Amino acid sequence: MVYLAPPQLASAARPSYGEAYSNVLARHRRSPLTSASSVILLVAPDVDALCAARMLAELLSQDDVMHRIIPVSGIAELEAMKDELATYNELHTLILINMGAILDLPSPTWFGEFSTELTVHVVDSNRPQNLGSLFGGGDIGDRIVVWDDGEAENMEEERRAWEALEAQPDSDEESVSSSEDEVPFQSQDVVSESSRKRKVPIDNGHSKTKRQKVNPNQMSRDERLHHQSVVDKHYARGSWYSQSASATIYILATILERADRDLLWLAILGLTYQYISSRISRDAYDKFHSIYYDEVTRLNPLPPGTKSTADAITALSPDDLSIRATEEFRFTLFRHWTLYDAMFHSSYVAGKLGIWKERGRKRLTGLLAKMGFSIPQTQQLYTHMDLDLKHQLRVKLDAIAPEYGLVELTYPSFIRCFGYRAPPLSAADAVEATSALLDIAGGVRIEVEVEGARHGGEWFGGGRVWKTRRDDSAKAMPSDNDVTQGGREEDGLVAEERTEVPWWMRNFWAAYDALTDIHSLRDALSLSMSLHRAIIRQGTTIIDKQDIRTMRSHRVVVLSQGPDLALFAHPGVLSRLAHWLIDALRDKLPGTKFTQGKKSLPFVLACLNESTSTYIVVGVMGALEFGDVRKNEFGLAFINAKDRCNARSSHNSFNTSVLEIDREDLKMFLEALCEVGEGY
Amino acid sequence: MALPQPLRTSVSPQELELIASEQLVEILPLITMEKTAFISGAYGPLRPPAKCRIPLWMAVNLKVKKKCHIIPPDWLNVEFLQERLSRETSYPEFSQMPFRFAEIAKAILDAAPDDVQNAEKVRSLLKDLREARQAKSREGLAKLDHSELSLPNLCSMEINELRPFFIHAMGVLTQLSREEQNGAAEEP
Repeated sequence: MVYLAPPQLASAARPSYGEAYSNVLARHRRSPLTSASSVILLVAPDVDALCAARMLAELLSQDDVMHRIIPVSGIAELEAMKDELATYNELHTLILINMGAILDLPSPTWFGEFSTELTVHVVDSNRPQNLGSLFGGGDIGDRIVVWDDGEAENMEEERRAWEALEAQPDSDEESVSSSEDEVPFQSQDVVSESSRKRKVPIDNGHSKTKRQKVNPNQMSRDERLHHQSVVDKHYARGSWYSQSASATIYILATILERADRDLLWLAILGLTYQYISSRISRDAYDKFHSIYYDEVTRLNPLPPGTKSTADAITALSPDDLSIRATEEFRFTLFRHWTLYDAMFHSSYVAGKLGIWKERGRKRLTGLLAKMGFSIPQTQQLYTHMDLDLKHQLRVKLDAIAPEYGLVELTYPSFIRCFGYRAPPLSAADAVEATSALLDIAGGVRIEVEVEGARHGGEWFGGGRVWKTRRDDSAKAMPSDNDVTQGGREEDGLVAEERTEVPWWMRNFWAAYDALTDIHSLRDALSLSMSLHRAIIRQGTTIIDKQDIRTMRSHRVVVLSQGPDLALFAHPGVLSRLAHWLIDALRDKLPGTKFTQGKKSLPFVLACLNESTSTYIVVGVMGALEFGDVRKNEFGLAFINAKDRCNARSSHNSFNTSVLEIDREDLKMFLEALCEVGEGY
Repeated sequence: MALPQPLRTSVSPQELELIASEQLVEILPLITMEKTAFISGAYGPLRPPAKCRIPLWMAVNLKVKKKCHIIPPDWLNVEFLQERLSRETSYPEFSQMPFRFAEIAKAILDAAPDDVQNAEKVRSLLKDLREARQAKSREGLAKLDHSELSLPNLCSMEINELRPFFIHAMGVLTQLSREEQNGAAEEP
């Protein structure tokens, strides 16, 4: 219940993050049954949650609090985990990271039945938050602590509406419907329930007025409708993201005066992840960026006399682990690729120049030539490029790119040095590598390019199947002859291990470890590059074949064949493809209104998963302007469509706009989705 | 250490580091703590910002948890080590160094490199010192005889390095000299 105001709004009467944290510590030290299962962190599988978990784990181990981190991939997993947790009697603190905001936690389906010893902290960047968790009081409700970022202050109206509705469940149907405010397993039925709720008072209108005469303390029907509509509006706006979980934990660390460079770096990664994956708008990014910029200058004082050229950042000493601010280009991974490749694979440039056509590629080489880069230069890896070209890159781009319509090519970001152990790595690259690890480190075969394989280099024709870096690095050597044979042997060995631990959990731990191990992170960069290549391949095929079907209010793409089908059966990768398509086609397509609100570019992508005979469906709302975001209304739309056509489906992740649906039901579902757009 | 008998030739460096960590070192605490009794003695109270002397093991532990700043001992800085290094390279004898300087320096540089001024220079000076002294101990071993080996100012890690060799070597030399004496006694 308690929503924690952020520290700037805190006062003696209103606890904030610091107090919540010290309560956790006090509990831990006081309790006689303390063990490693007393404090448990449940972490969602995305980069922001990973960073926040790492930061929190660091803070807890500095305070000698034993804790456990458990990755959870979806609502189903959370249900199973909850049942298991009910059996732990030494558990006194549960921290949910990037999950659970939408769930009605005080209800019996979730944590209502747990002992009064348990406190549940919710650190989540997903919005909207469940009103029951935020405002519910009483014995059970007090144990749910939502770490809020100040938005709940502005929800006075919703609070009153919710409290009024909770206080007056009068008729039988209405009491049934208001107690169904919970979110049952398998579907986020909040809005479908509330839409049912909305129908109920209208039907029972006349019976209500009769009862009104009997009980004068009853709310008038109008009031009830008003409250109901306020609550429904809160949930029906769509889903969006707010302050990242890692920012919340960083604020906690600042209050405790224990912020240091490592924590700051992880917080920066969380923020960059939100921006790069189009979860927050450029304005929100800038706001947090300026905060982090101040922190960087505070914690990383440059020794006087170093001339800081933002382009040529090198480590000043072997122990130099400092963070510096730079202007980052919008080309993905551009320090690790050739310049041509980086521009080719960035969705912004792809859209403006039309990369999927041969004409577009010529324009790209034309742009590079105009800037004074010869073709051999652009085909060199960035690290081998001439130094003066590197320094001039930004100047030239600013001068010449606007002619091609590329205006917002840079955004302010950060870069970290790693002493003499490895070259400096920018925040965006680190985020790309980590999310590639999370998505596809294991569970799918993907080939990465070996350096030197192009243009008849020594490893020409040899890729290497990507394997998570292990202790015996002999397995990671590139095999130039017969990749498949080596791959098969490895698969045989690895297949046994794989059955025990699910692939997403191994990916999670691989990514978790890579956050602090610079060498695994750099290895993962090649994985990320292959992923981008696959996305481009698939995206250009879709655009070339004109596979995008335009419905009245949204656009649909169905992938049922292709070389990378297994790769795109993962929701994370599929969402990336969707965002790429949006960025690429942003200027060419008119915006549409989906159900309400502003115009946007709604895209639905469905990919066939052959092994389970289901389609993974992902819905993404793109904004019309680059750098802006829209609230994602697909969560509710999917549920409505699913109900209408009774499709067999399941929600397997915390993201409400991702759905897994049976193969045969896809057509019906898509048709029902069109109806949703019209008649909502 | 729990090594099997055949491998137990001498004390391991980690054990030496553990023994050296008993020494007191000065810290700047960031937390408050009352005078607490440990097995080796009572330390504290910690009252920031007043400095306090606590054992090295405790200082390293607190530093790792970011609860104190270690103040390096007065020999762990560039000037002192530079001066000793020049003395080392100009005279044939070993120069005077704190007995357990290698272990203490390693512990502090690993846990708190930010508290030591110019940590890389200190590391490189320590490495130079070690190499100079190593060269001298190699030469000194040539003077080994059956009854004594005198190498003044040798430090704990270096003694530990030599120990298995010169114990064994002394044993052999003693045998040889005894046979010589017996031989000499039998001759006439």
